Amino acid sequence: MHHPKLRRNQGLQGEINRTQRQHVQRVVSYPVDINEMRITTRINLKGKNEMGKVVNDFTINIATANGTGSQSANLILLQSIFDMGINISGKNLFPSNISGLPTWYILRISDNGYQAPGDLTNIQVLVNKDTWEADLGSVEPGTVVIWNSDAKMAMDREDVISYPVPMTKMARTLNPKLAKLVTNIIYVGVLAEMLGIEQSALESAVEKQFSGKASAIELNTKALSLGRDYAKDELEKQDEFVLEARVRDQKQFFIEGNEAAALGAIYGGVQLLAWYPITPSSSLAEGIINWIPKLRRDDDGSDNCAVVQAEDELAAAGMIIGAGWAGGRAMTATSGPGISLMQEFIGLAYFAEVPCVFWDVCRVGPSTGLPTRTQQSDLQMLYEGSHGDTQHIVLIPGTVEECFEFGWKAFDISEQFQTPVFGLSDLDLGMNRWATTGFEYPDEDMNRGKTIRDKDLFEAMEDFGRYKDVDGDGVPYRTLPGSGMAPILYRGTGHDKYGVYSEKPHIYHDLMERLKRKINGTRDHLPAPIIREEPECEIGVIYFGSMENSIQEIDDIVESKGYKMSQLRVRALPLHNDVEEFVRQHKHVIVMEINRDAQLWGILRKELPDDLVSRVSSVAYSDGMPPSGSKFADLILAKLQEVSQ
Amino acid sequence: MSDRPARAIKLNVINEPKDSYTGGKSTLCPGCGHDQISSVIINAAWENGIDPTKIAKMSGIGCSSKTPAYYLGQSHGFNTVHGRMPSVTTGAYTINKDLLYLGVSGDGDSASIGIGQLIHAIRRNMDMVYIVENNGVYGLTKGQYSATADIGSKKKKGAPNEQQPIDLAALAINLGCTFVARSFSGSKKQLTSLLKAAMSHKGFALIDVISPCVTFNNNDGSLKSYQYVKENEITLHMTDYIDNRQPMEEIEVPEGHFRDITLHDGSTIRLETISEDHDPSDAMAALTALHNAEQGKKHVTGLLYFNSDKPSLAEDLNLPDSPLLDTPADVMRPSKASLDEINAAFLA
Repeated sequence: MHHPKLRRNQGLQGEINRTQRQHVQRVVSYPVDINEMRITTRINLKGKNEMGKVVNDFTINIATANGTGSQSANLILLQSIFDMGINISGKNLFPSNISGLPTWYILRISDNGYQAPGDLTNIQVLVNKDTWEADLGSVEPGTVVIWNSDAKMAMDREDVISYPVPMTKMARTLNPKLAKLVTNIIYVGVLAEMLGIEQSALESAVEKQFSGKASAIELNTKALSLGRDYAKDELEKQDEFVLEARVRDQKQFFIEGNEAAALGAIYGGVQLLAWYPITPSSSLAEGIINWIPKLRRDDDGSDNCAVVQAEDELAAAGMIIGAGWAGGRAMTATSGPGISLMQEFIGLAYFAEVPCVFWDVCRVGPSTGLPTRTQQSDLQMLYEGSHGDTQHIVLIPGTVEECFEFGWKAFDISEQFQTPVFGLSDLDLGMNRWATTGFEYPDEDMNRGKTIRDKDLFEAMEDFGRYKDVDGDGVPYRTLPGSGMAPILYRGTGHDKYGVYSEKPHIYHDLMERLKRKINGTRDHLPAPIIREEPECEIGVIYFGSMENSIQEIDDIVESKGYKMSQLRVRALPLHNDVEEFVRQHKHVIVMEINRDAQLWGILRKELPDDLVSRVSSVAYSDGMPPSGSKFADLILAKLQEVSQ
Repeated sequence: MSDRPARAIKLNVINEPKDSYTGGKSTLCPGCGHDQISSVIINAAWENGIDPTKIAKMSGIGCSSKTPAYYLGQSHGFNTVHGRMPSVTTGAYTINKDLLYLGVSGDGDSASIGIGQLIHAIRRNMDMVYIVENNGVYGLTKGQYSATADIGSKKKKGAPNEQQPIDLAALAINLGCTFVARSFSGSKKQLTSLLKAAMSHKGFALIDVISPCVTFNNNDGSLKSYQYVKENEITLHMTDYIDNRQPMEEIEVPEGHFRDITLHDGSTIRLETISEDHDPSDAMAALTALHNAEQGKKHVTGLLYFNSDKPSLAEDLNLPDSPLLDTPADVMRPSKASLDEINAAFLA
């Protein structure tokens, strides 16, 4: 019986949190009988049960058009299945458009806790005429197709299980004006009946979705019943897919990574949010804005967190640097194109040593790229951002809990080391909903770093110099404007220990060496990698960020082929020393990431000792889609073949 | 001579000598207009009795932006990146709105690379003084025309400029800037009064100061040379700054027509009519004066436009009375109970 080293998604959050606290988790793995393996990359992992049913293990693909209210319908579906205690993940594949272009919503239902989109669509819902032919043409024989029979589109597949539903007509009977919106709720009702979604779960999901809007709740509840009744009366179930309620160890709720990071920033004491709207980060900024009235409003009605919507990303970067210089906690939220624009300022903050926090919710580049798709392609740009020699701290959450945790921690680290800190999330983690048991309150006080706010303390210091390495850790002391202490003119030009302009060779060289020492010194103060190790130390895989949501499935597939694969998830740059140790302990290590150019692999090859470089190979792939477990597993298996030859 | 008593050092109202307001030695070309402006800044701040530790000197990149090293040595400052001083200032202001933000920029910094940030700082009515040291050329890169070079003006080398200049004062008036003045680095008295008034203003105060570049743009044929500006300056009015410590009834009343404008801190700027009356609350009159001057290849100086009604950024942002810098840690970080409540609400 195969037993994965750590099942991470059933009653999952307790386990994840535990893993984070004791970052090196050595998990004993059970022997594997390869002959017993059920897992291949191209079939459903669990298969049918003895009743001929496939329970809680299938993928639903819903094809609609943007701006038709389908997102509400899909979220109701997601929430109601989740509320039955079933592990489910939803991926919204939306266009860069407000209305009319095609949108797909992919629901992966998996008792194994797999969260990547499945390889096959088991149930296809067809509402959008524009993609009808292609969607219908792409499904495998035997797929369930629920389709709007009022769409006047051909249903010419004989080899699928066809459930025609007159969605538009039914919607019109309820409300002719809102028929377009209501159409989407009808298919939720049909799916509810066909799959066995409890009515109570459905109703509470509707209430959550339209909280407080009685007329919307009433309309949608009616539409759901219409769909359900139609399915009951007119459709005969010919498919094998069913849902069964499960009981969770701990209660969970859904939240987007951006919302979690926003809440984290609020608890991190953010005092200025300066931002410029950009997909997929806007909801992070708006999350902060939404929480301010509840959490950061003083008794007199004033806000102790300022928000400035800047004229562009350059200004947003300038504002947070100004705020950091003045002694405040400031952040911006953006995506790759914004970071590109901020490069000059990033160098200033590094060189003048000003604390400030940037969140990059990564989308597909280069250039405008695919603005509404996901990728891990900004890592290198963040790590070495701006011209000249630079190196930056990057925090890389892989879960919504970490979005929250790094949301507050980023400010402490930035002030502690007087340098910009980047949070690197991505569209998949940031804009999709993930399950959590809740957020943990910061377990340490705010760290304001070596900022002298007290005149006595200052006067006790001899011959103060803003850029003197008093403690030998590369981190100098600073005073603030308005304090009357040690006034200096901050600058992006070369400067000596007192902040005075200098072009002297040894002064410039010493300064650059100190900055390198300062950032290198952060390695073991940053979030340590999560390690799940096989005792054999045969193969290791190194990955980061939202790939956390696919690793279990990838691992199961690779191990089904007889390999033992340890895992290390990088959670910060510069790399923790455990990363080198992990590579040293394993015969072969694969670095897996969602981009073309193997950015993390490149950083590792540059920083690992020469004798370890040849052990590390790369699997990097990106097509804009959230990572498919089987795709990456196949690439790993192919790479293992290649290196064994 | 030795038995003569030491001369008492002159102190301002907060008992500071002028030395408390000076800075390092200038490295600009001898005779540069910018150095005259630096000395006006020192005088204005000293005479106004502003605590130098409560001033923040802000600048971008260029000859002008180097000058914060030459004045107010007791003030912190930030020599930022090219054209982007307004955003850094905005951020600093949100954290510590009690400082006097004194920005110095040039025509390259403000009219080209940084024009977007200038415009948006005006739009927000950021509470700061913004001095443009305007000479029509890029100095540090050795004399290229800037976007404020006048049509037909000729710098030391090369052909005359044929492109339409950007008039920053006209731009600011169109944007609703609450304090817009133009001056000349050679008109020390006028510039000092205007700068003092700008320091007393709550909101964005722009002073566009023609400040000749002695090295690249002070030749015959230049419309921004000392000689040319001296001969072609149209002064809108005589300007006097009367600080809020002096009772108005003790101030001598001028013989001719004048206007008194009360500033946010209770000080007054008195504008004495020279030939034609100019009403600084009339944006159209200000734009007309600028337009006519440009047509006649003249430079009009004085307080062009003033409006005290607009809320400044602090009010817009709903900031508390004391600066955010002073927010206690337990207010910056909400309580554990609040997070427990949020978790519970999500789980409900």
